[in-house]
Formats: sequence, C-alpha cells, structure tokens
Amino acid sequence: MAEKKKMSVAEILAAARAADGKGAAASPPEPKATETEESPAAPPASKPKPAAAKPAAAAGGARPSVSDILAMARANKAAGAETAAKPAAAKPAAPAAKAAAAKPAAKATEAGAAKTGVQRDTASILAAARAGAKPGPVSKADAPARPAAKPREAKPVAEKAAPPRTVATVPPKPVKPAKAAAGAAEDRRTFLQIALGSAMAVGFSALAVTGGLFSLGLARFLFPNVLAEPPSKFKVGSRDGFPSGKVETKYVAQYGVWVVNGDFQGQQQIYALKTVCTHLGCTPSWLEAEQKFKCPCHGSGFYKDGVNFEGPAPRPLERYAIRIADDGQLEIDKSKTFQEELGQWADPDSYVTV
Amino acid sequence: MHSNGFFLTDVAGFLGGYYAAIAAMNGVAAYILWRKKGQPGWAIVWTAVSVVMMVLASLALSGSAAWVPSLPASARGLVNSLSGPVLYTLGTVGLLTALFVFRRFFVQPMVAWTILNVMLVLMGLSMADENFASIVMKPDNVPIVGLVFLLAFFTWLATKQAVVNDDRIARGLPPMEKENDEKVLVWPDLVYTELICMVAVAAFLLIWAICLPAPLEEPASSVKTPNPSKAPWYFLGLQEMLVYFDPWYAGVVLPSLVIFGLMAMPYLDFNKKGNGYYSIAERKFSYLTFQFGFFVLWITLIILGTFLRGPNWNFFGPFEFWTPYKVEVLNNVDLPQMFWVGLLDKPLPRPPAGAGGLVQAGYILLREAPGLLLVGAYLVLLPPLLAVTIFRGFFAKMGFIRYMIMANLMLLMLTLPIKMILRWTFNLKYIISIPEISLNF
Repeated sequence: MAEKKKMSVAEILAAARAADGKGAAASPPEPKATETEESPAAPPASKPKPAAAKPAAAAGGARPSVSDILAMARANKAAGAETAAKPAAAKPAAPAAKAAAAKPAAKATEAGAAKTGVQRDTASILAAARAGAKPGPVSKADAPARPAAKPREAKPVAEKAAPPRTVATVPPKPVKPAKAAAGAAEDRRTFLQIALGSAMAVGFSALAVTGGLFSLGLARFLFPNVLAEPPSKFKVGSRDGFPSGKVETKYVAQYGVWVVNGDFQGQQQIYALKTVCTHLGCTPSWLEAEQKFKCPCHGSGFYKDGVNFEGPAPRPLERYAIRIADDGQLEIDKSKTFQEELGQWADPDSYVTV
Repeated sequence: MHSNGFFLTDVAGFLGGYYAAIAAMNGVAAYILWRKKGQPGWAIVWTAVSVVMMVLASLALSGSAAWVPSLPASARGLVNSLSGPVLYTLGTVGLLTALFVFRRFFVQPMVAWTILNVMLVLMGLSMADENFASIVMKPDNVPIVGLVFLLAFFTWLATKQAVVNDDRIARGLPPMEKENDEKVLVWPDLVYTELICMVAVAAFLLIWAICLPAPLEEPASSVKTPNPSKAPWYFLGLQEMLVYFDPWYAGVVLPSLVIFGLMAMPYLDFNKKGNGYYSIAERKFSYLTFQFGFFVLWITLIILGTFLRGPNWNFFGPFEFWTPYKVEVLNNVDLPQMFWVGLLDKPLPRPPAGAGGLVQAGYILLREAPGLLLVGAYLVLLPPLLAVTIFRGFFAKMGFIRYMIMANLMLLMLTLPIKMILRWTFNLKYIISIPEISLNF
C-alpha cells in the first residue's frame, strides 16, 4: 500500500492535467484510445474513473481490508476521506462518477441513493465522520482527489506497454475510494444543500455586507473629519514687529514660516518664506552670522530673499501669501504659495511693501 | 576644541585594551610564523611589534595627556587643512588605483599584515583626538569602521586569489579552484556550518546591542531637521550623490539604474573566462568597471558621508570640530547662466510677459539649448563613437542591443564623477536647469 501512496512525477503531472476536468481533454490521448468503450461521450476527465470503477467491482464489492483503510486515511486530505465509502456500490457508482464529471450537482443526487444502502463498513463510517467534520471544502477538494486517484490507472495506460493489462492488474483498492468519493460527496452535498445552503448564503451575504461596511469605514478613517493642522491663516502682529533686515524665526516651529523684512529686487518687502528646502524638503536653518538659510541635508543655501545660491537646490524657496488684515496686522495664508521661477513673486499677494 | 582633560581618561581604558589587542594579534601571528618555521625573521619582527604595542597599551592606560600616544597637533592640523571633497575623492581613487596596479606587491601576506598594523595604529593614535573619537565612536558609526576593515580584508583575499590564479593561468596551469575542487555536502556539512554561523552572529549581535545601544532621539517633527541630517549609513552614498544632482536623478533614476545594471550584468557579459574562479587578468574590463562603481562611487562616498560630512553637510577634516557655523563658499551657477551671461554677455532668454505656453516653452528650449545639446551629444553621439573607437571589439562581440545597453549604462554611471568634477572645477550646478517643470540635470 505504501508504494501506492507515493505518486511518481508522471502521475502528479497527469493528475494536474486532469484536474481541470474538461480542459484537460487533449492531454491524455492514450486513455482515450484504449478506453473508448467505457465512456466515449463523457469528458476525458471522467474516463479514468470508470476504469477505476471496474476494478473496484472486480475486487469484490467487499469491505476494504484494514490496510486499505489505513492507506485511505493516510492518503487523503479533506476530500479523499469520503472516498472510502461503499466499495460494494461499484455499479451505481460508475454512472455516478460519469455524471459527476459532467455536473457535480447532478452527481450528488444520483449517488445519494446508492450510498445510503451500503454504508456499513468502517471506511464509510470514517468517511462519513470526516465528511461531517469539514463539509465546506469538500465540494472543491474532491475534484482534485478524483484525478489524483485516476492517474494510478491512467499512467500505466499512458505507458502504452499493456494498457488493458495494467488496468486489470493494478490492485483496485486505492481506486475504490476515489470512485466512492464521488458518491459520498454527492450525498453529503445534497444534505448540505438542503440543510446549509441557505445558511451559507446568509453567511456570505453577511460577510459581503460586513466587508462593504468595513471598506466604507476605512475610507472614512483615511479622510478624517478633523484637521490636525493649525489653521492655514494666522496673524503675526503688525509691521512694526519686523524691522528692516530681520528674519523672524519664531513661527517656524508652529507654522513652518519665516517672516522676513528684506530687500527683493530693490524693493523693501515683508514676505513669508516656506521653511521647506526646494531640493529634497528638509527644513533649512537661518544662520544669522552668515545671513543665509542653510539646509542640513545636502548643504543647499539660500539668500535672505529666498533665492538659492549654493548647493543642489534647483529653485528659490517658496513664499506664502501675506496681506494686511483689517485690524492692521499681517496675516499669512499658507493655502497659497508663490514660486519665483514661475514669476509669481511679482504677485502683490506674495508680499507686503514696507 | 581639544580639551584633553576628561576626555582622555574616558578613552584611556578603551585605548589600553585596543593596543593590548593589537599586541595579542601580533603575538599570535609571530607564534604561528615561528611554528611554521618558514619566516623566522618576520616572527621576530611581529614579536617586537607586539612588545611595542604592549608599551603603547600601558602608556594609553595612564590616561594623562603627556603619555597617551597621539598624533602631534601639527599633523592633525595639516590633515584638516588638506582634506576636502576634491582631495578626498582624488586621493581615494589614486590609492585604489595604486593598490590595483601594484596588487602583486600588496597581496603578499606580510605586506598586508604590515598595512593592517599601520592602519590600526593610526586609528589608535587618532582616537586620542577628541573630535575624531566623538565621530568614530558614535554607536551608529562603529559598525562602519568595522565594515571598512572587513571590506579591505575580503577585497585583499579575493585579489590574492586572483593574482595566484593569473600566475597559474600564465604558466598554463588550471586555476586554484580547479585544483582544490573539494565537494562539500549541503547536508550536513554546509547546513551545520550555517547553523553555527547563525548562532555565532546572533550572539554577537546580542552583545553588540547591549554594549552599543542605538541612540534614542526626540520625536520627529516636519519643521525640525537635525543638523547634520544623515541617511542610514548604507544610503550615505546616495545622499552624497544628491549634493550634485536633482532628487529625481540622484534619488530615483541613478539608484534604479544601479539595480537594473547589476541585473543586466550577466547578460551583457560576453567573456566566457573567469567563471567559477578568481581572475583579474582575464576580465580586466569587468573587474575595473565593477570595482570603480563599487569602491569609488559607493564605498568611498559612504565613508565620506559618515565621517567627513558634518553640520549643514559641510566637509570637515577628520580631526575638525563639527561646528554648525563653518562657512564654506559653495556658490554654484547653472550652465545657461554661464553660457548666456558669462560667455555671450547677454541676459538669459526670457519670454515676454504674458506669453503663451508654446512661446514660453520655446524660450526655455532656447535658454537650455547648450545644456540640452551637451547632454544629447553625450548620450546619443558617444555610444556609436565609442563603438568605432575604443569599444570596437566589444561592439563586434556584443551586437547592437547589448552594446548600446552597456554603453548607456556606463555613460550614465559616469555622469556622477563627471558632475562632481564639473562642480569642483567650474562650480557648475546644473547642466540643464528647467525649474519651471522641476527638470534639472
């Protein structure tokens, strides 16, 4: 039995090819040739199964031996389990298997009858127990299980040495489960459909609704209704607070602004410079002794008027909008910026004349 | 800023252990050489060195300014005044070139051991300088010191094997790797070795983390940039490149090209030799190109960024105090400015006020014409020109597509040193400068 469990590479490949059912029609041409009598009309994926079914019947329609049960138990994951069911039902199972390949749902109803009558041995009880344990994945999983069993028969066929002989000589037991699996699963599925179908629908609907609500909540979370920043407009006192030539740095920590009273192109102006280096966005520091803004990251330097002159910064610092409010104070509006290289510093909103 | 008071007592214990370790290292070397009976003369030399190191260790342990071995102040001042980005880069390139050209000399074990000793002693002497020690002994920087030594060792090892192989190949023998073609089983040999290494490295990291905890700094703030602000050490080469380029190029294009180029390498390589064994003579071009890119354009920049770039990203000599008030003249000029204003004595072409988008674009193109032409010629004309001159053989062997990829990758790699040199010599900031659309090159 042990050697049965291990699949050769060829078998795995065959299984993988067959797994898609109809899609695999072209891949095993030999089986088609040798087994035409079995199911000429059925899709190729189902063919090996009938082949398996025959030996199963030949093997005696009797209860499986202990080693078989063990092998089955070892061999399968979720789906292989139910396969152990009713080896005796070779006849009904064969058509069932054929149908199964064509239509899983139909398969379920057919095999149901066959199974209920015979299910008395250990294997079937085991299978039933397992099937009950994990009902969900079975419907999908038994599709791979079937092909997995199939290649055991199909591979020798593919070898062309003696296709009929191999079918006959290969011990049928491991196959049985495969074929039986179909029947068992069908039966269980019927039950599921009746008992749980609606519950599943309810569950998935609930899941969908929850997911939708969660997405909405997430979107809301990403765009909160709170503005963590200080207001974009703020007042910095009257013009008298900014004597000529002064760079006021006390608004940097809270607002990211230098208020400068300086000379720009021959005109004395008060302007608000944004404290973001135009190279890579660090905050430069104002060096009073050198009368320049100097960026600690890559050494860019800017004159007092914000124009870049050293290091890699490609353009001057940006200005924020500034105006004299109704109460005579200077008001800076951070929602508007002015860039020198675009000629925006000529905009009267970008400065206040002294 | 040399307060040789408390600082020396702090560092004395470390220096004592440091010199003692060098003494032990040399003692072991002398013992091994003596046992091998090959070079008794060298064994005696290293024993003497070991004794001297023990003396230095005891002097260092005294902790007094008069006794702790250190470099004379005049030497430190000279080093400080000489060092700058230009000399540093040219010096490292020259040093690496010398190491390469005279590799046959440097791969001799005794020469390498001598150099290692000199490096270690120089390091110990420098350590007695407060400014040097404060940078080198930062928890962040200690691993980089270690990495420098590790890198030197492994480069030396590989070069040695390459030199041996080159000699053998010249004599018609197969490379060493073919001779000692020992097979090692993955299981258990390799896996066990890996397990042991894993445990050892884990233990080492644990001890390291306990002894040199990472600094806890203040919470980050978008309006407060530490001065100096440094990238993680492995990105300091990138940060140094950013000094010379616009972020889109040095931060995005060049790093991507580095990765792309490394991936493309095996496909561009047409040299069948040197597979599975070390060799320099058989693959000179590949070796030199790679080592230039790795050592000059990456490693030396990391060392520069780690140890020699201080506040405001100014250059500081190794024994210089990192003051944020150092003034360095770095006035840079764009090429259009140089061309139109400097050379033709005209104002920059400016579109008339209120001009449409197309007119503005035309004026920008006119303004940037010199830079665009230069860069265009560099990237378009040079590859075919090289193909018919110095890369004639390459072009024939590689075919059009592979050659063009290779040539362009190489030219783009060379933009970095070219730009650095232009910055140092002409104070050139950007060759193409279109801040209107944030395109600068």
